[in-house]
This record gives sequence, structure tokens and C-alpha cells, in this order.
Amino acid sequence: MPQPNSNPAVNGGGAPSQEVNVPPMAGRPGGPGGPGFGGRGGPKQKPKNFKGTLFRLWGYLSGERKQLGIVFGFILIDSAIMLLGPYLIGVAVNAMVGGDNTVDFKLLHIVLIALAAAYVADASLSFLQGWMMAGISQRIVSRLRRTLFQKLQRLPLVYFDTRRHGELMSRLSNDIDNVSTSVSQTAAQLMSGSIALLGSLIMMLVLSPLLTLASLITVPLVFLLAKTITKRTSALFKNQQAQLGRLNGQIEETITGFQVVKAFNYEEPSIADFRKDNDELCKVSTKAQIWSGFMMPLLSVISNIGFAAVAIVGGVMAVKGMITVGVIASFLSYSRQFVRPMMDLANTYNVLQSGIAGAERVFEVLDENEEVEDRPHAIELTNPKGEVVFENVQFGYRSDVQILKGISFKAEAGSSTALVGPTGAGKTTVINMLSRFYDVTGGRILIDGSDIRDYTRDSLRRSFGIVLQDTYLFSGTVKENLKYGNPNATDEEVRRAARTAGADGFIRRLPQQYDTPLTENGGNLSQGQRQLLAIARAILAEPSILILDEATSSIDTRTELRIQAAMLQMMEGRTSFIIAHRLSTIQNADTILVIDKGTIAEQGSHHELMEKEGIYYGMHRNLTV
Amino acid sequence: MRHMMKYVKKYGLLFIVSVLLVSIEALGDLLQPTMMSHIVDEGVANKQMDTVLRFGGWMLLITLGGALAASGRNIVSSIVSQRFGAELRQDLFEKIQGLSFESVDRYDRASLVTRLTNDVTQVQNFVNGMMRIFVKAPMLCIGGFVMAFRLNPYLSIVLMIVIPIVGLMIVLNMKVGLPLFLKVQNALDRLNGVMREYLSGVRVVKAFNRFDLEVGKFNGINKQYESRAISAQRVMAVFSPGVTLTMNIGIVAVIWLGGIRVNSGHTQVGHIIAFVNYMTQILFSLTTMTMIFNMFVRAKASTGRIVEVLAEVNTMENHSTPMPMQSMQSMQSMQSMQSMQGKGAIEFDNVSFSYEGPDGEPVLKSISFTCQPGETLAIIGSTGSGKSTLVNLIPRFYDVTEGSVKINGVNIRDLDTHELREKIGIVPQKSILFTGPVIDNLRIGKQDASVDEVVEAAKMASAHSFISELPEQYNTLIGQGGVNFSGGQKQRISIARALIRKPEILILDDCTSALDSATEASIKRAINEYAKDVTCLLIAQRISSVKDANTILVMDDGEIVGMGSHDSLLQTCHVYQEIYRSQIGKEVDNHASA
Repeated sequence: MPQPNSNPAVNGGGAPSQEVNVPPMAGRPGGPGGPGFGGRGGPKQKPKNFKGTLFRLWGYLSGERKQLGIVFGFILIDSAIMLLGPYLIGVAVNAMVGGDNTVDFKLLHIVLIALAAAYVADASLSFLQGWMMAGISQRIVSRLRRTLFQKLQRLPLVYFDTRRHGELMSRLSNDIDNVSTSVSQTAAQLMSGSIALLGSLIMMLVLSPLLTLASLITVPLVFLLAKTITKRTSALFKNQQAQLGRLNGQIEETITGFQVVKAFNYEEPSIADFRKDNDELCKVSTKAQIWSGFMMPLLSVISNIGFAAVAIVGGVMAVKGMITVGVIASFLSYSRQFVRPMMDLANTYNVLQSGIAGAERVFEVLDENEEVEDRPHAIELTNPKGEVVFENVQFGYRSDVQILKGISFKAEAGSSTALVGPTGAGKTTVINMLSRFYDVTGGRILIDGSDIRDYTRDSLRRSFGIVLQDTYLFSGTVKENLKYGNPNATDEEVRRAARTAGADGFIRRLPQQYDTPLTENGGNLSQGQRQLLAIARAILAEPSILILDEATSSIDTRTELRIQAAMLQMMEGRTSFIIAHRLSTIQNADTILVIDKGTIAEQGSHHELMEKEGIYYGMHRNLTV
Repeated sequence: MRHMMKYVKKYGLLFIVSVLLVSIEALGDLLQPTMMSHIVDEGVANKQMDTVLRFGGWMLLITLGGALAASGRNIVSSIVSQRFGAELRQDLFEKIQGLSFESVDRYDRASLVTRLTNDVTQVQNFVNGMMRIFVKAPMLCIGGFVMAFRLNPYLSIVLMIVIPIVGLMIVLNMKVGLPLFLKVQNALDRLNGVMREYLSGVRVVKAFNRFDLEVGKFNGINKQYESRAISAQRVMAVFSPGVTLTMNIGIVAVIWLGGIRVNSGHTQVGHIIAFVNYMTQILFSLTTMTMIFNMFVRAKASTGRIVEVLAEVNTMENHSTPMPMQSMQSMQSMQSMQSMQGKGAIEFDNVSFSYEGPDGEPVLKSISFTCQPGETLAIIGSTGSGKSTLVNLIPRFYDVTEGSVKINGVNIRDLDTHELREKIGIVPQKSILFTGPVIDNLRIGKQDASVDEVVEAAKMASAHSFISELPEQYNTLIGQGGVNFSGGQKQRISIARALIRKPEILILDDCTSALDSATEASIKRAINEYAKDVTCLLIAQRISSVKDANTILVMDDGEIVGMGSHDSLLQTCHVYQEIYRSQIGKEVDNHASA
């Protein structure tokens, strides 16, 4: 840090702006993380490839490289100008001690104007640097976030089903944020540090190669220190980020399940759980902080050792007349200037570690296997007739538990098929297969005679209209939600679909009708109203194949009766699959499949099955009063 | 800031210790140049090796002392800042857990998540940074100023002009920066919100193939966050060089004034060199301080967001001193004339409710009914008629707008909310399960439940059989939101969770919609058998589910339009008749014709 008594000509007036880096590791303890706990394989202790990650991060700088080059240029010019500062002050001082105690005002004024100009130039350049760097670093992380989010679009459902959402959110916010901080902090510092290092080294070599050698004693020490510390901190930082992600996951889940927590007086255990993870985070990040915080004080010890070495060697050389005292004085100043950037660089490296930890966690997601690519010659499924054939379809979410054990049936184009059976029999799984949320593990599914895996996934899903058991609405207006499956629908079409679904009535009673904003997950609507919206959403999408998975379970039967005609109309000419428990919904289906324990137990029309007096008959009796 | 005082008290002492250590560190830093000048001026200049060695030794010793102080400070400050952050987060989390629905509904859930994570981190960073450089910078600044003033009062005039300007700039910086950083945090909330929504609705997105829309939405908000973060960061880019420039111009002024003074013989050249040196030092510390202030601005924005939540007044404070259930019961048994062997009689007395308070659109209008222990009250009615809202008033998720809800004749506002909820088992319409083993989810209902109790509850809810078939039975992990279970399975786990606590009041909010009728019937049998004196509230869509209830409440548009037994309602209630016709009549007809 600045030495009050050292020669101003060397210590310089303007440079401090670059010396004041962030206090050692004020960085952001909260930042990014380590290898995913959520990830398969559990926590990875060993930091992965530092250089590889850095290199990959560099890839995200494309497009910014030109700008970075300009910033680099500014820094270069700025450093040069700032070398002028001490020199000019020296000249100014000399102007005062000309002769006979008279000051050479002419020279002084010129020098002062030059100095002022240099300072203004320095300020402008630092301003431009900061201004541009803000843009560069934010754009980089913005791109990283975008890439991550886009990646999430291509990941298979199983990825989301097996991970805590808060943990993923942590990667998008905390981890990327950490990358941002370290990029904006370190990029400029790395440059100015390197330049300062190089500059002082040259000056030192010019002054005395021998003394330079003596002061180089510090180099291996600095490297050793940096290595020892970063070896620990990089693992700790990663651990910290992983822990933070975990905590985030817990926070997210508890806040989502607020109602259950409240209802069951579960606050205390939930708080205790939180405390456990929170304390663990605290422990890990304290360790990370402490280790990284040792860097600076130890570096200053090393720096002074170097200084003492130069002083001693210099002293000896001066005694032997090999060197003048003046040279030693200047040299000592330069050696200070030599060590400082080295400390900066080591510190930067430390900050970089935490950024890399964040980047690695982000890249981990980017490296996840995506949904199976479309087959090479996949064809577009356009306006399908809608004939669906299941051929001995088998599936298990886990390899050891078979959910579907050989399902075979055929649904003619335009026909309706109802799936019934006890809960957990595999009805929803059949739907998951058909819509390719998951791929079959055995057998195959044909639409219009071709394996669904031979169609592009996009076109396949576009031909489906799905109303799920768990209705999900997005924040946005009612209209936006209805248009979700068909963004080009006109207002009139939207209203017609809502009327068909029996939703028009209550929508009109909402404060702003179709423009009423829905809160998170449609919280301001009842469950049944949300199902009506989900049905209207599917109607508007005009699919060839319709899938209704318990679509009307929360709708009261009167309303259901009212929309039944519309539902039938919607099913007209479309192949439809219906999962329901209400007989009224089922019995009109062309075919009823009774699914039990992953196989088709019975199959036929309502009347056929009733006559058979089998499982279906029993279920039916149960329902009728 | 009242909410932050607690931490000041708790960590104040350690904070001071760390500040003292920083002072030693700073002292070391201040002494070093002196030692160095001794080495150069006395040792090297006079070619005295022993002087060089002696002062070199001193210097190393001081460095070592400083380094020790710095290391100690590092340990203390790391511990304090991390513990402080953890505690703040913990307190905030506990606060949120303690808030009423009404308070929590005011915040976006994503925003609460951000506050708990990112905002706490920002404050923590500031505290950490402060302990590292807090004293050092002002010490160096004041030290430099004093030395400069003693050296040359005349030249100090420059400082007296320059420093207030710099101060003004720092204040301005904060004024401009604070709202910008608040905006950044708000944008972060929205970013988190979109992400959250995407994760929850990923099935719908995939089903409708609307990746483009989601990406578009995300990109919009991402762009906004980017531009806000850039503007906030750019404010720093203006002020930081501004401060440096002001000080540097001061240096130019000092040299110029110094030149005049030297010319007139008032000042020596050496003084000017030293003065400039001090100014450099002041400049350095000022720049550091600007940085602290920048961190402060960020932390202040975050603190505001945290304190906003901490300052939430619990709108559901208990009236006066809550009455413990026990004493209430004894009181009840003394004064009660009814033969009430159970404990959970529910009474709604002219209850009206609106989510927006007294002036809002009423969701419930003048609801009155009673339900005695051992009885089942079924609620049936069309979608959106206020059924779920009604039952949500019983565990006091929300407070009534008018009228009162009484349990055993006592207004629930006079009861301890914790104890009240302890008596209630609720199965919400939407099954919410948590990540973790099945058994942990069941134990949410009763934390100390034995394995036998868990199995018993699961059996009653017809969940035992499918759980036993899972690869790891009760230890099978439930994924986020329970995705790896079917709707019916989730409902059964959710029912078992409510039953395990052996509640006095059981609320079933249309929670059998995804169950086939055989399963539903067997659950109902089990509940009836075990829960003889439980007060049971049941919301259902099917007439077959409600017809055996003691009383059936028919709701329409927030009002009770019929109340009575199945048979009487069939005679008198128009809406009920309609509902009946909409399902049973038709099915019976069809069956008959089949």
C-alpha cells in the first residue's frame, strides 16, 4: 500500500485507482458453486479442470473480444500516462530548485498543464474502462444465463423430476452472478497487473540485473503460497456453492409448500432442517474465507522479505562499490512496484477461483444429456389422421421397477379411448409414453403407422392437446394463458374456446375479464376454474390427438355436464385418450382399457365390459349409488 | 435499522476486536516506510551493513507482527461475517415461517427466495469488507491529513477544498446508486420468478411445445436485468475516476501553490514532495472508501428488502392472551350443557370473507353452520363457489372479515394458533409433497411418529400397499413436487400425512379426485372406523362421496344455498337436485338401461 515516505516520483500520483482492488476476497462469499449435489454421482471433491473451464469461459467472450481489446488498449495507454505522472512531478520539483531559490515558472506552468492533462486523460480512460467493462461483464453473464436457460429447454423431463428446483435456480442466479463478479473484477486487474509487472521488471533489469535476481527470490514464494492457498480454496469455494445451492433448494421448497408447513405446524422441524444446512454453509464459507484471507498478509511478508533481500544484497554491492546508492533507492521503489502487481495477480487468481467454481456448476448443467435427438431422417408429423397403436410397450422410470409390462392396443383415427384402473396402475405413464415425455424401454408406439420416434419431437407434440392432472398456469393474463398453445389465436377464437370449455362465465366475472392477470400458478383461481382454463387452452390449440388426464376431476359435475357437449364436440374427429374416474366421462368412449398392474386387464366398450361382469363391472357398481 | 441492532449487539465485541487488529495491521503498514527510509537513508547511503541488517530485521519483525494481526483479523472477520450472514438468513427464514398467509401473499414467492439468498449475501459481503478495510482507510486518510496539515498549513487549504468536494461526490454516488441497485434486485426477483415458473410448469411447456415463448419471456427479463446491472455498475464508473481526478487536480494545485511559496521563500521544496506524498496516501484511502460506500449502497438496498420482511407485522397476532386448548376444554366441559364427548365442535357464525379485506369482493357471504364431533359435514358446490376458502378459515390460514369461527364455542382468534393447528389434520386439494423419503413426508404430520404409526396411517389411507411395492418402500425418495408418484398416490400419501397425527378435526379438501371409487370407499371406511369422534369436514364433487355425511352443505357463489341430509336436500334444494341429476341420476339411468 502507499508508502507515505517513499519517493513520490516513483510512487506516483494516479495509479491508486488500479491498486485498490477489492479487499482481499470481499468478493462474494455467496457466489457460485461447486459440483452439483443434485447432480448424479454426488459431490465431487476434486476441483475439475481449472484451465479447461477458464478456456471455455473465454469462449463466451466471443463477440466481446473486440471491446475487450479496446479496454485493454485503454489500460495500456492509461498505464503509460500514469508512468508520466511521477516523472512530471519530478520535473516540476526540479523546476523549483533551479538556481538561487528562484522558481522557473514558465517551465512549472508547462509541466503542471501537462500533469493536469495527464490526470484528465487518466480519469477519462478509467471512466471509459469502467463504463465498457460494466457492459462487457454483464453481457457475458447475460449470455451465459440465456444459454443455460435455453439448455433447460432441451433437457428431458427426468432431469427436472430428479432435482430440486431451488438448486437449479441457484445455478442461474448465484453461480452466474459469481462469474459476473469475478469477470468484472479480474479482467481489468489481470491486464493492468501484468503490464505493471512487466514494466517494473524491465526497469529493474535496466537498473541492475544482479539486484533483479535478488528480488526475484519472491517469485517462487508467491507462487508456492498462491498454489497452497488456492488448492484449498478452490475445493472450498465449490463446496460452498454446492451448499448454497442445497440451501436454495430447501428455501424454494419450503416457500412453495408454505401451506403444508403451516397446516401441520411444521415450522419448527423445517426451521431446524434449515438451520442444519445453513450452519453447514456457514462452516464451509467461513473456511473458504479464512483460507483465502490468508493470502494478503502472507504476501506482504513475502514482499518485505524480498525488500530486505534487495536491501542486503544492494548494501553489500554498494559497500563493494559495484553500485551507487541512488540506484539502490530507485531499485527499491521499483521492487515494491514489482511485488504489488504480483500480489494483485495472486489475489485475482483467488477471486477467479470462486468465479470458476460458479462457471463449473453452470457448465455442468450445460453438459447434461439432452432429450434424445430426433432420429437422422425424422419426419414432420403434419395433420396426422391420428391412428395410434401400442405394440407391447414396456417402461420403468427405474430399470428395476417395471411400470408398464407389455401394453398393446390400437386406437382408430378419430376414436376415443378411456383408460381406467386403480391409482398407480400406470395410466398416466401410458400418456407419458405417447407424448414422448419419456421414451419406451421396450416395444413401440405407432402413429399413422410409423414409430413416434421417427417423427420430429416438435411436430409430434404439436399434434397433441394435453390437459394434465396437475393444471399449471403461468403468470400473465387469462388471455395469454389461453393462447399458450396457439399464440396466433384471435380474441374471438379465445372467447369461443373459453365458452366451449365453460370458462367464459367466470372469466367475465373477473375484475378485468380476459385481461385479468393471474398470480403465481393461478393462485387467485380455484382448482376447478384452473382446470376449465386448461381445457380451454387445449381446445384453442386444435390438436389432432387429445389427451385428457383427469382433466375434470376438480370441476363440479354440473359444470362438467354443461361442458360435456363441448368436450364431445372437441373430441369429434380427433383421436382422444381420457383418464378419468367419473363414469359419466368414461362410458361414452369407443373403447375402454382397464389397466391394472401395468397390463391391460380388460378391453372393450362400456356395454361389452358391463356384460362381462369383470373388473370394470365391479368398479362401476362401486360408483353408482 | 432497528432490526439490525440485535446483530450489532451480538457481534459488536468481536467486531471491535477485529477493528483493533486492523489498527495494528495499519500501524504496521505506517511504520514500514519509516523502517525502509532508515535502511536507505542511513544504512545504504552510509554503506553501513549492520544498520541495514538491524533495520531490515526490525522491518521483517514489524511485517510479521502486522501479518499476524492481519491473519487474526482475517479469522475473526471471516467468522463474524459468516455467522452474521447465517444468523440473519436463519432469522429471516424463521420470520417468514411465522408469517400469516395474508403477509406472505403480499410477496412474490420468488422474491422471498431472492431475499433469503442473494440479499443476505450482499449484506454479509459488506460486513465482511467493512471489517477488513473499515478502519484502515479512514486511519490512513486522517493520519495523512494531520501529517500534511502539520507539515504545511498553508498548502492544506487545497485539501480543505478538495476533501469536501470528494465527500459530496461520495454522497451523490450513494444517492444515485441506491435506487439503481434496488432496481437490480427487483429484476433479479423477476428473473428468479420466470425460472421458477418454468421449472414448475415444464410439463405444460413441453406439452405445448412453447419453448420459444418461454425463452422469449426469459430473454426479455434477462435483458432488463442486464441493462439495469450495467447502469448500476456504470454509476461507479463515473464516480470512482471522478474522485481520483479531483484529488489529482489537488496535487497539481499543491505543486503550483508550492512553487509560488518556494519562490517567495516561505516553503522548502522537500515539504512539497512530502505533501504530495501524503496527498497520494489520502487519495488512496479515499478511493478505498468510495469502494466501501459502493458496497454500502448495494448492501443498503438489500438490507431494505430484508428489513421489509422482518418488519412485517404478523396480521394474525392472537387476541390478548391466547387460551391454551386444555384450559379451554375444561372450561368448556364445565359450562357446556351439551353432551359433547369429543373436542372439536366447529361453529361458523355469520362468517363473511374477502381476500382483499373488508372492502374487497366477498368470497364467502354470511356463512353459518355447526358441526359436532363425530359428525361429518360435507360441502358440495360448483367450481369457485368458495368451498376451499371456507375450510381455510378453520386452521386460521386467513382471518374472517366478518363474523366468527368458533371451536367448542371459543373464537379461534382467542386460541393459540399453534395449538389450534395441532388439532387439525388437513388434506389440501393439491397434494404438496417435499423432496425426501416417503416416511419423512408422512412424519410431517407427526414428527415423532413410530414406524408402526406411520404404517398404520398409510394403511388407513390405502397407501401402504403401493408404498410396500416401491423399491425402497418407506425410504423411497420423493422427487421435487412428488413427480415420481401418480396423482392418486400423492393424494393417498397426503391423506396418510393428515391421519397420522390423529386429529380432532379432519379436513378433506376434495382430496380423492384422483382416486378410483374403490380406493376412496376403503379409505372412507377406514376413517369412519378409526375416527368415531373426529369432526370431519369433507369437500367433494361426487354425490356418492357426500351422501352419507350427517349434514351436507350446498354452496353456490359464496353462499349456503342448502343444508341438510341427502334425502332432505333432494327434496328441497334446487342446486343439489341439479348436481344429483348431473351425475347419479344419469348414471343410474344408464345402468338401468344397460
